[in-house]
Amino acid sequence: MTVTVAGREVALSPRLAYRALVAEVERTPRVLKVWYSFLLALMALGAVGAAFTLAPGTEVFGTTPSFEWGILISAYVFFAITTSGLCLGSSLGTVFGIDMFRPLEKRHAILAVLSLTTAFGIIALDLHYPVRMAFGAVFNPSFSSPMWWMGAFYAAYLVFLLIEVWSMFFGHDDVHRYACLASSCTAVLAPSTLGAVFGVLFARGFWYGLFTPIAMLVTALLAGSALLGMVFYFVVRFELAGFERGRTLAIPAIRILLAVALVGSLVLLGRGLLVGLTSEDLALHGGTMALLSGPLAIPFWIRLVGGLAIPLVLIALPATRTVSGTGIAAGLAFVGVIVDRLLFVSAGQIIPTTAVGGVVSDPYVAYTPSLVEISIVLAAFAFVAFVYTLAERYLDLREAEVHMGFHLPRVVATAPERLRTRWAARRVAPAPTPADAVEETVCGEP
Amino acid sequence: MIDVNERLDPEPPAVPAVPAVPAPPAVPAVPAVPAPPDPGPDSLPDGRVSLSYAGVSRRQLLTLGAVAVPCLAGATVLFDWLSGLTDGGVAANAEPIVARYDPAVHRWGFVVDTNTCIGCGLCGVACKAENHVPKDPEYARTWVERHTTTSDGTVHVDSPDGGIDGYEPGAPPATLAGSSVTDVRFVARLCMQCENSPCTGVCPVGATYRTPDGIILVDEERCIGCGYCVVACPYGARYIVPAGGDMPRGVAGVADKCTFCYHRITTGRRPACVEACPVGARTFGDLNDPASPVSVALREKPTKTLKSDLGTKPRVFYVGLEGEVDA
Repeated sequence: MTVTVAGREVALSPRLAYRALVAEVERTPRVLKVWYSFLLALMALGAVGAAFTLAPGTEVFGTTPSFEWGILISAYVFFAITTSGLCLGSSLGTVFGIDMFRPLEKRHAILAVLSLTTAFGIIALDLHYPVRMAFGAVFNPSFSSPMWWMGAFYAAYLVFLLIEVWSMFFGHDDVHRYACLASSCTAVLAPSTLGAVFGVLFARGFWYGLFTPIAMLVTALLAGSALLGMVFYFVVRFELAGFERGRTLAIPAIRILLAVALVGSLVLLGRGLLVGLTSEDLALHGGTMALLSGPLAIPFWIRLVGGLAIPLVLIALPATRTVSGTGIAAGLAFVGVIVDRLLFVSAGQIIPTTAVGGVVSDPYVAYTPSLVEISIVLAAFAFVAFVYTLAERYLDLREAEVHMGFHLPRVVATAPERLRTRWAARRVAPAPTPADAVEETVCGEP
Repeated sequence: MIDVNERLDPEPPAVPAVPAVPAPPAVPAVPAVPAPPDPGPDSLPDGRVSLSYAGVSRRQLLTLGAVAVPCLAGATVLFDWLSGLTDGGVAANAEPIVARYDPAVHRWGFVVDTNTCIGCGLCGVACKAENHVPKDPEYARTWVERHTTTSDGTVHVDSPDGGIDGYEPGAPPATLAGSSVTDVRFVARLCMQCENSPCTGVCPVGATYRTPDGIILVDEERCIGCGYCVVACPYGARYIVPAGGDMPRGVAGVADKCTFCYHRITTGRRPACVEACPVGARTFGDLNDPASPVSVALREKPTKTLKSDLGTKPRVFYVGLEGEVDA
């Protein structure tokens, strides 16, 4: 028994599926086989690491009560905001119908679904009771908690994204338009709320403040644009589906997105440093100093130069406004965002709130990620890369023709025109009044 | 190895209490008051004394035990009661803090006197024993910090192993050897039971909540172990319970913190750390009761709360930290 998916026959019987798989593996180029093997090895490593985390309370992470959130939280934040960033950029094509952004839509949707499911997987491994969380969030919601709202928005986001992908591949235009609009709105709400998860914590001066959600949103745009930049570089480089429009439209569009996000990130980073250096808040000042000259200084400066300044230069210089230049800039910015999320989570906790456990007040809190944490994070990246490679190979990711921007419902769209017509009609032919009748009579006299 | 026949006391055993015990009717032949045995002729060749030789039958021994055990238990209760009278030098604490518990009428508070604390760490030991807190010093419901002030006014804070092993009185940390130290004091830390608690609002599933008497508790059946409350606490008073070893309430992977020993205070007792403190540096009581030790201490001594600028309104007050900048 077979079913047809995206124009290809897929076997449902185990025996047929096995034969199809063997045949497919034999057809796969050697380079891809090596790539798959590498990613699968990383995923296997992560699966082993994940197995260690299943028992609640097992001490397999390098975190401590003084440094409770480690690289799994950083990775979760990274994948969650990358999802949002992908949609923020491509919404210019999917919602607003700007032609040069339309080549992004299929690939962005696939990547967004993958990125968000990966983020959920990571946070499930970080939580001690993920199943209890799922039920607790529904039956015992705490509406005062930004974390609850973040979860609600990202859960809704995943639903919208799945509908968007389904409608895109199966040609349900109307559903697709609304799904794109909903997911694009959620793409703003969700990372902002994720920023608020950190921004409301007045115990953590480095995170606390109104600008944290804004910075999270801008970082999301940077992460999503950078990932799209890397993907479209390979699309053009290897002449994958839709590479012509990718070269002429997508790459310039990504350059614009990257430029906006890089400038925004630099401005917000400068603001943060300025405030941190002049602040009397020990946590904020200490966290800033940890970045500038403390234990986080080396990755911070490397990221500032390599992940922000150089990509901006590559995009700004006419000589490097090429596919390769954009690809390199996107790659650097992408790695820069990963480092930035690690630094963000670390700098917020590096100043101790207490001296418990032998920590002395003036030094920084120490944290070294465990092998389990590292393996899970590597596996997360490998999972996204693996599934996306499969999608690139087996799905039709050429630009969809399902819509040209978002159209309002007919009743709403025609409402202004109908009102205008009605008003105009009333102005042209006002109803006769008694005064008019008298005037008409007087004027009518010879 | 204890030999029951071994004579532990060279003198004959004191037996005046035995006559008070009526002899069992089944053994009328046994004299109610045995004469003190003469150890000489009854001694075994190796110098030991047999019970039978000492003139005490097995039945009498059992009867003696049946009387002695309740007496010992009674003495223990009496000793605990007397200890309570003198504990911390506050006689008022001897009374049960509540008769019948109504959370709506109480508002619990805590005063830590850093002028009195000697940094012995007994509070931490008692807390871990009472609440099954993990042995690892990283995990603590209460701990003791050493605040060392140098001549330039800088306060150095350290807490090796949470102070559970006790500090050498008045000694600064080794890292400050040679520095001009002007003051060394010990500051007991615990959950501040804040009125504006940052931990309760952020919990996504409402597992952390405040009781009507102002104690912040964690529902271990509901907590998901996300660590948000741990990160949100400005006082570092929370931790996620690690698996294995001691676990408060026997559940791993959930948030835990000081509850002022809620299981004790709702049954009329005081927190374990308060009872363990040998110098009365920790005072606990009802802020609604003007005569409670806490209310008296707050009236009579200048106090401050930690990180008051955050607006959390802690219910733990400190004596002796007036000149110290919050850290």
